[in-house]
Amino acid sequence: MLQGALAGLAAGGLYAVLAVCLTLMSRLVRVVNFAQSATGMFGCYVAVFLSVDLGLPMWLATIAGILLGGLLSALLGWIVSTWLAEADTGTRSAVTVAVLLLLISLSFILFGNKPQPFHPILDGPALTVGGVVISQVTVVTVALAVLVAVASRIVLSRTPAGVQLRALSERPTTAELLGIPAKRLSIAVWAVTGVVSTLVISIVAPSQSNDATSLAMLVVPASAAALLGGFRRLDLAVAGGLGLGLIQGAAAQVDGLSVVRYFLPFAVIVALLLWSQRKEVWDAAR
Amino acid sequence: MRLAERGMPFVVALVAIAVGYGLSVGLDGYFVYLGMSAVVAGISLLGLGVVTGSAGMISLCQLTFGAVGAWTVSALNEAQAPGGFLTWLLLGGVAAGAVGVLVGLPALRLRGINLAVVTLGLAAAADLALVQLQFPGVSGGISVERPDAFSDDRSYFQLAVVVLVLCCLAVYFLRRGRWGSAWQAVAFSERGTAAAGTSVRTSKLTAFAVSATLGGISGGLLTGQVGLAFPASFTAIQSLALYVLAIMSGAHLIDMAVFGAVLWVGVPELLKRWGIPQDWGFVVFGVLGVQALASGGNLGTTVRQVWYRRSKKEPAKLDLAAGASTVEPVSPGPPVLTVRGLSVNFGHVAALSSVDIAVPEHGVLGVIGPNGAGKSTLVDAISGFLPNAEGSVELGGSPLTGSPSNRARAGLRRTFQQDRVPPGLTVGAYLKFLARRRLTADEIGEALDFFGCPAARTPLSQVDVGARRLVEVVGHLLARPRVLLLDEPAAGLPHEEHVAFGERLRQVPARFGVSVLLIEHDLDLVRSVCDTITVLDFGRVLASGPQAEVLADPAVLKAYMGETELL
Repeated sequence: MLQGALAGLAAGGLYAVLAVCLTLMSRLVRVVNFAQSATGMFGCYVAVFLSVDLGLPMWLATIAGILLGGLLSALLGWIVSTWLAEADTGTRSAVTVAVLLLLISLSFILFGNKPQPFHPILDGPALTVGGVVISQVTVVTVALAVLVAVASRIVLSRTPAGVQLRALSERPTTAELLGIPAKRLSIAVWAVTGVVSTLVISIVAPSQSNDATSLAMLVVPASAAALLGGFRRLDLAVAGGLGLGLIQGAAAQVDGLSVVRYFLPFAVIVALLLWSQRKEVWDAAR
Repeated sequence: MRLAERGMPFVVALVAIAVGYGLSVGLDGYFVYLGMSAVVAGISLLGLGVVTGSAGMISLCQLTFGAVGAWTVSALNEAQAPGGFLTWLLLGGVAAGAVGVLVGLPALRLRGINLAVVTLGLAAAADLALVQLQFPGVSGGISVERPDAFSDDRSYFQLAVVVLVLCCLAVYFLRRGRWGSAWQAVAFSERGTAAAGTSVRTSKLTAFAVSATLGGISGGLLTGQVGLAFPASFTAIQSLALYVLAIMSGAHLIDMAVFGAVLWVGVPELLKRWGIPQDWGFVVFGVLGVQALASGGNLGTTVRQVWYRRSKKEPAKLDLAAGASTVEPVSPGPPVLTVRGLSVNFGHVAALSSVDIAVPEHGVLGVIGPNGAGKSTLVDAISGFLPNAEGSVELGGSPLTGSPSNRARAGLRRTFQQDRVPPGLTVGAYLKFLARRRLTADEIGEALDFFGCPAARTPLSQVDVGARRLVEVVGHLLARPRVLLLDEPAAGLPHEEHVAFGERLRQVPARFGVSVLLIEHDLDLVRSVCDTITVLDFGRVLASGPQAEVLADPAVLKAYMGETELL
């Protein structure tokens, strides 16, 4: 059980990083980015293509893939902030649903629908805790999750850009009237989360079921984790991701739970919503 | 004329069935099979049109509901349950509807985006689970029997068309009824829906249930088409694609749902003929979906606009010029709405502190005060939108508590400062929705004429903002509440119309039997309408009483100093 739970921690770290990205996006640019992990998936696939088919060195291909992930995300951000600047969160997020579909189908066309021959960036055990081996991937993803959350927190609270971003998210019109470059900042947020999600997916993908659909659908457990923090709190998003990974890993050990396991993120989402929505809220301030 | 209008949907339905029959006889066998697929997709899209198009929620698991339908039909077939295919099909729809309600329940109080997360989660989970579990009867190769009369492809296609037409008719009538109006209303404004005494949750749930039921029927029909259901027909990606297709084709319009279904089958087929991998089909849908969302339009409305260009009109305006017959005013009675010690705090800011207010029976109470005095907060608190408000509200002697929709049903209605009128409805449909009771055409016409509003057949999207707000007032009056709270109803009107509107308002208690609490900036209007006035300043009652007395109060004068609309 413990072995399984700790094995699930690598996935948990991945969920946590993606959940942090989702939370940042939701807070700062008013979007629930359903294409968050699909962008990462696409970047990783291109990296594999560059290294396997074009013979680029692994590290270079990986960097290219990560940059492409950021670029794709920035492009999407440009589209959303150009044409949907005034739209509500629902419409803005609906665009990312279309992009999710687009990226999955494109990856089928370009790379086929077989899992890709990923080459692990990190390999092997890092340390042993009480007889249970913990892999390097686990250590790095968990560390990355905490690091990204802490870094975002510091950037948002301590730097001028962070203050501008917060102003932009709280009072978009006022902030823009004050001369804050709304569009540029929004696109930067999209780009950074794109880079971070591609990075973490390229670390974990070699040890995960890594077909395009599975990778793109990582957004489901990630949003379950983000919901723990109500798409607002970064620390809870990290905790949610790690927790979900642990539970899933433990459940994978029990044969009778095999089908139930698939529904875990869904069940977690529903349970969290039931709990967090006890108080009725209205769609507009007044 | 009216009879022709009522019969029209049935005529269209008969024509559609005839066309379906013609296609089933005239087409090549392969195309008949494709046609079946289109019909199946059409029913699914129709469901998505209800939940995303009408009710404005993002639902990403339409094919999971299809799988529930397919599962039910397969299981009943395997068990050789009595009733035969058509009964199973119906049961599949019911089962999917039930699952839809279960899935929708936690998502009820949520904005659309959380529902999207829930449904995508369900779609992804069901996708994986189905691959592992497989459908009943598949391992034993027990294929689903079509009904005897429809065993070959051509006749099964005819059956499918009939099912589609029945679903279209059902959706058509649901959309025209209370549920449909509620879907449109909830998509535009939850507050507006609750203020009309309609439960926001029920509205969302019915939309979700209807959509899931249609999904289930579509899945069951597919099982009959292919004999054995396979998980590959119900993947999460296809659900995403259907959603995007529903957005881009504008599936809330029934004809466009059918058109979308033709695209669903036609685009991959064309790509196949041109030797292009079929995955490009989803790329095309994705690009068009992004385009549709970014431009705020879709194929359906574009086609309709081209069609209706000739009849395009100027926005309908108010016509308050004609003097309406006057009714003898009734003298105000004892208070019908009594508010005692009402306090509202936002954090450390006291928006209202122990405010007392009394609206007299058959009277009009004016509430005035400078900006930020807490007037709108007062309306929000009385109508139940601020559950944390302290103090007591009594309507007709009994305490008024609970959600806004409960208060609305108890006889307290309100309007909003901002536009909360769903543009998808006609004036008449909106009035019926607000009134929550049977209205005769005469009753509607009379009330609209009295306020100079556009005719009942006018779509609200063609009514200008000022007139829309008066339509809202008319609707709430037709609901015959005990008290109506009006939050700056004249704000969108040109100044000349304020006086005319005031004349009408003055007659409201006598004509509709409704007492009014009026918040207004225009003191001319307040003076001409209100018997009694309460003045708010910084969340406190500054003065209260008969009009002349209050307006002469030095404290009131002082509070208004510097305001342009000085007495």
